[in-house]
Formats: sequence, C-alpha cells, structure tokens
Amino acid sequence: MSARAEAQADDLGFGFGAMACECEIRIAGLGRKKAEPMAREAIDEVRRIESKFSRYRDASVVSRINAAAGSGQPVEVDVETADLLDFAAQLHASSGGLFDITSGMLRQAWDFKAGRKPADGQLAQLLPRVGWNKLRWQRRGPGQVGRIELPMAGMELDFGGFGKEYAADRAATLLQSRGVRHGMVNLGGDIRLIGPRPDGRPWVLGVQHPRHERSLIARIDLADGALATSGDYERFFEHDGVRYCHVLDPRSGMPVSHWQSVSVVAPACLAAGALTTIAMLLQGDALAFLQSQNVGYLAVDAQGAIHRHEIWQRGESAAVSP
Amino acid sequence: MHEAFHAGPGKVTRQQGTAMKKSALATLAACLAAMAGCANYEPPKAWEKGNLAKPEMTMGGDALEQRFEQHIYTSKENASGGYGVGGGGCGCN
Amino acid sequence: MQLKNAPFGGLVLAAMALPGVWHVSAHAENAPEQGLVSLRFLNYQDSQPGWKRVTVNSPSFLLAAPLGRDWGLEATATVDHVSGATPRFHSNVSGASTMDDERKAGDLKVTRYFQRASVSLGGAYSTEHDYLSRAFSLAGTLASDDNNTTWNAGFGHAGDKIDPTDGGYDGNVADQRKRTNDFIVGVTQAVTGDDLVQANLTHSRSTGYLNDPYKALDARPSERRQTALLLRWNHHFAGDGSTLRSSYRAYNDSWQVKASTLQLEWVKPVGGGVSLTPLLRYYTQSAASFYADPVYDTTLGAPFPVGWDANAYNSLDQRLSAFGAFTLGLKLQWAVDELWTFDLKGEAYQQRGEWRAGGEGSKGLEPFKARMVQVGISRKF
Repeated sequence: MSARAEAQADDLGFGFGAMACECEIRIAGLGRKKAEPMAREAIDEVRRIESKFSRYRDASVVSRINAAAGSGQPVEVDVETADLLDFAAQLHASSGGLFDITSGMLRQAWDFKAGRKPADGQLAQLLPRVGWNKLRWQRRGPGQVGRIELPMAGMELDFGGFGKEYAADRAATLLQSRGVRHGMVNLGGDIRLIGPRPDGRPWVLGVQHPRHERSLIARIDLADGALATSGDYERFFEHDGVRYCHVLDPRSGMPVSHWQSVSVVAPACLAAGALTTIAMLLQGDALAFLQSQNVGYLAVDAQGAIHRHEIWQRGESAAVSP
Repeated sequence: MHEAFHAGPGKVTRQQGTAMKKSALATLAACLAAMAGCANYEPPKAWEKGNLAKPEMTMGGDALEQRFEQHIYTSKENASGGYGVGGGGCGCN
Repeated sequence: MQLKNAPFGGLVLAAMALPGVWHVSAHAENAPEQGLVSLRFLNYQDSQPGWKRVTVNSPSFLLAAPLGRDWGLEATATVDHVSGATPRFHSNVSGASTMDDERKAGDLKVTRYFQRASVSLGGAYSTEHDYLSRAFSLAGTLASDDNNTTWNAGFGHAGDKIDPTDGGYDGNVADQRKRTNDFIVGVTQAVTGDDLVQANLTHSRSTGYLNDPYKALDARPSERRQTALLLRWNHHFAGDGSTLRSSYRAYNDSWQVKASTLQLEWVKPVGGGVSLTPLLRYYTQSAASFYADPVYDTTLGAPFPVGWDANAYNSLDQRLSAFGAFTLGLKLQWAVDELWTFDLKGEAYQQRGEWRAGGEGSKGLEPFKARMVQVGISRKF
C-alpha cells in the first residue's frame, strides 16, 4: 500500500454516547495505536463536562446550585463554572434577555414525547421563577471563583444551551495539545474541527434538512473551526398543523416559530452553538444579530426558504515561522 | 604574504566599525517601533493567520533554491549575509 | 470563516477567551509534521562579451524529516561541476585561469522544538581540490505567546583550508587557513493575517588568508568584518491570492565596500496548482578601498596598476569593483498534487560599472553576464 493510501486508511472514528446524543471523535492521519488512547482521553473530557454540568446528575455543580435554590445560601463555584456563568451573562445581555439559562425549567410545562401543551395557568405559575436578573452572581474578578444564589425555590439553572458545544471545544483542543492535527469532535451534530484532512483538504460537513430527516440541506467545506445547528425538529410535536418545538421564549414560555433551523460557523463550537440558540430566540431579528457578530450562517425560515451569509472557507491557522 | 600592518585607507577604524553597527541596530529598532507603534494596531488572531502558512508566505521559501541563489551571488558579488550563519565557505571563482 | 477583514462579534470572542475553548497549537515553532525530499539541478553559465567563462552544473538534494514529535532533521548534499576560465585580473582574457573542478558539499541540521522555542545545531562540509571548508552553527528561536513575533539568534564558525593548484598565481601559496565567526539576530513579525515582515542583522569576522590566490597581484587584508541588515516583507493579496515578496539588504564591511540589494518577486497563482513568479533584483556596490582600476603603470605594464605598491593591499578582482547589477527571472511552479511539486526557474544577470547607484561605477571593465536555469522536484512524505 502506498504511503498515501495508508494515510487515507488512517481515518478512525471513535463513537460513543453522551449528553443524550450520538457522538464521535474522528482522528485522521494517525495509526490506531496512537489514536485510540487519545480518543479515550477526549471522551473522558466530554464525560467529565457532562457529569459536572448536567441537571440530571445529583453530584453535578448545576444540581448543587439548583438544590440550594430558595435556601438563602450562595453556592461557591470553581473557575471553570464561573467562566461559563460569565459567558451566560454576556449571552443574556447580548440577546436582549432572550438567552436565559434560568428558563430551562419552563420545559416542565411541555411534554414533547406525549405531545401535550401546558395546562391552563401552568406557564403563569412557572414564569416568575425565570429570569437571569433575579439571581445573585458575583465574582471577585476574571480567573477567580465565584458565588451564585438562586433566591427562589424552584429556580433552576440549565447549561443545556451550550454544554455540548463547550465539551466539543474542550475535547478538540485537548486532542490538539496531544499533537493531533487532523480530525474532528462531533457531539450530536455540533462539530468542532481539530484540523483539516491529512492531505490539507477541508472536511465536508453536512447540515441536516429540517424537514427531511435523511437529507441534507447544505454542505460546508471546513478546514478549521466549528459548525453548530439549532432547529425546531430536535424535540417537537405538531398539533392542528402548528409545530411546538423545545426552544422556548423565556418571557412567555412559548416555543419560537420563525426558523426551522439556524446553522452557524465560528472558530469555536461554544460560540457557534450559543449564536444558533440566540438566533432561534430572536426570531425575526436573528439575521441582523448574526451579521453583527460577523459569522457565516445558514438559516431556514418557516416557509423553508434559505437565508445564507457568506461562509468563507480558509486553511488551517498557523504560527509565525522565520 | 603581505603581513605588514598597513594603516592606510583600507582599514576601517574600530570606532567607525562600531558606529556602523550601531546605526544598523538603530534601523532595526526603528523598524520594530514603526510596526508596533501604529495607532489602533491589532495583531492578527490565531484564526486569521491561515494565509501566513502558505509556502509562498514563509520567509525561507525553497531551501535548495535559496542556497543556489545565495551561493551564486556571494561568489559573484561582494556582499553577503542577512540570511543565516555557519554556512561554510568555498573557493568559488 | 471571517467575513472580509471585519472582526468577529463580541460573543464569538468571549467564547474563544474561555480556557480550553480556542487553543493555539502545542508547538509554536512548527515542528514539521511532514517530511520533504527535494532534488534540484542548476545550470549556470557566465560570460563577458565575446568570451564564455564559467559553466557550473550542480545537482543537489535535500531531506527534511520530523523525528518524533519534538525533533526535526534537515540534510542537504550538493555537487558542483565547475569548468571554464576566469580572468587573472580585471576582465582580461589572456592568460586566464582555467579550471575543471568538482566541489562536493553537505550539511546537516538537527532542531529540537519546544513549546514556543527551538534550538538548532548544524554542521557543514565542503571540499574541492583546492579548498576545504568545515563549519558548524548554533541557532535558536523564541516566539511570543500569541505566536505573532519570533526572535531568532545564531552563531556560526567556519574553518577553511586553501591549497591552490600549482601554488596559485604567485606559485608559492599553499596550506593557508581562513577562519570565520558569524552572528545573526533577528525578528519575524506577523503584522496582519496577510503580512509577514522580518529583520535580520548579521555580523561576521573573517581572519587569515582572504586573497584570491588565482588572481594577479591580489593582496587583501587578513581581516574582514562584514555587517548586513536584511529586511523582508511578504504580502498576500486576498483578491487574487498572489503574494509579493520584497527584500532589501544593506551591507557594509571593513574593506569599505557598501552595498544595497533590492529584490522583488511576485508569486501569481494561475490555476491548476500552477504559479508564475517573475523576479527583479537590483544590486549595487562600492569598490573595496584597495581595488585598483584597469589603468596600468606605463613602465611595468599590465597587470600592474598605476601607483602599485608591493607592500600595500591591492586587488584587481572585478568582484571588488564598484558596479550595479540586475537580475530578471521567471519561475514556474506546479503543485501537481498534495505531495509532488515541480518547478522551473530561469534568470538572466548582468553587472555593469555604469549601473552603480550612489556613485561612480568602476571603469574599464567588461559587463559581466550570467544566466541560471534551475529545475526542481519535491515530494512530501
């Protein structure tokens, strides 16, 4: 086998389940003996983040914060959690309050599996517990720990809006620091590239069609950076021809409906994912917002029309060499 | 061999040599200051440097090609240097 | 993924600021990931009007390979087949010194890469029937945290042995030594995503036998200090993907030679992995303080210059005269696929006294011309 064919043969996918989705670490250009232990490390990092920030694990930081809601006791959080909370605060401010990590608990009113809408008055009862402005978050300074308090019982934090994307970035940079130059981390469709194919060509990533599960609506050539997508097809039900999806406006508790899906290309998956979620929430104002962030995007509106903004492909980032 | 110490016009004095070096260093420093001192200058971020990795953008270029070029010019002209050290000599005529 | 020179929005940058989210590569110094094998051939022919002088045919070979994650190796080997003749003095044809020689040279460099730095150790060896050179070098680089600035410094030492055929022009030169120490310090800066600049300052000091043994009445000082400042700028044009490579070098030495070099190359991709690079180079130098014009003493006759003093420094070497020189060149490069690259380069060079800038060029010398053709082939692995 020629060296080139061998290099092509070294394109290894390590599949695993995490964060309620199918995930894959893809490492190319390295033999299995080298790639496998590194993939294992990356998977451990994804699981670490899942355990630390999942609402569903009692020992997680988020669960500890939520359990202390209404107790009057602030919870001390480490630097990593504090950085994410600061980021969440910035997302809240930049989205006019629409991106709100206290709004996750509104999903209690909706049963997407059974296809049931909220009972009368249920949302009105839950809404007072929603609002980033209502909690107390303080931190001495960047790089420091912080303290957070949820003043009302029943208030909850939910990192679901960016946890998966953050994990994709962390796993990818971990692999980069181990010397991996070619591959990607794909967590349920949120993708962060480690580097282009071994021959330097970009990967071809597909964006799922929001209405036809087995089809793609677009393909993107990417050599570096990340791609994330939010859509109204991930968790939803339809009733009388109206679709109710899991992306809820925190002011009303009602699902958004302007976009079938929004995809964003950005250097980091954390950025791409946060922007897709904000775009879904901003509804009619989404495109102006994405343009102001100067990222490439592909948005499919409720009628199925595609709105795209120049996604510029470029080669790998580089260090200066004399 | 002409070992006689000839303090004629052919000899640059120590002071002249140092002054020459100082002015070269000053030029170097001025170039760097000019680069760094521009108002609103923002150095490129890591994700903006894709083009810098292109082969034609690197300073070295093709190693063998550069060697041939330097060798030819050093043999046929008087100036040399600026590129590297320890290259060794030849009896190039 | 960035749209035409506009910065990313605040949220994108905020995300990238989180630790572990956007991470620069582990090795700032670009430890090579791929190896490279290169074969190159040079055909050189120089002349002056009516007289073909020196012909050189030179195959050369390069191997560059990573050794593990932290080390790199670079080795080259060259053979110069030199034949022809050069003048004994000025551009005088009669009694020219002929040669038919083979020079073999090789060098090896080993580099250790660190997080933001590298250290290289190199050795070079060159041998021909009348000249032996051995050299070593030690160099290092250090990059800033953001990898936009890289400093470099190096030191080299060479020891040469000169044993001219038949004792040279005087017949009595044998087993001479020359030693050179050289230093370099420099900085390379990424100014924008499309601009890379470099400044290098080198200084060298040679001592020992510095004459040209085959030239008449050649008596040079036994010491030479040289300083050069090289400034380079590579600019990438986003519009057509072309690159302009410019360089300027200012040179000065203890023999009173001042020289400037200006070089411009424009790498223009024309599709299909092919690029064309036209090249223009202008060089100008002043004469060495002890260079004598071809005006000969009426009593002694050629090659003795007017006012020749047997105890003074003297040279009749055209290469130490004052002149300007132009090079025009064109290179065609074809990246056949991800692994193979082929290139062809042709250059025409001419030196004339009257082309000197910044002063009078030396008179009485024939224009010196040279043409170079290079063919190269490389493969990554």
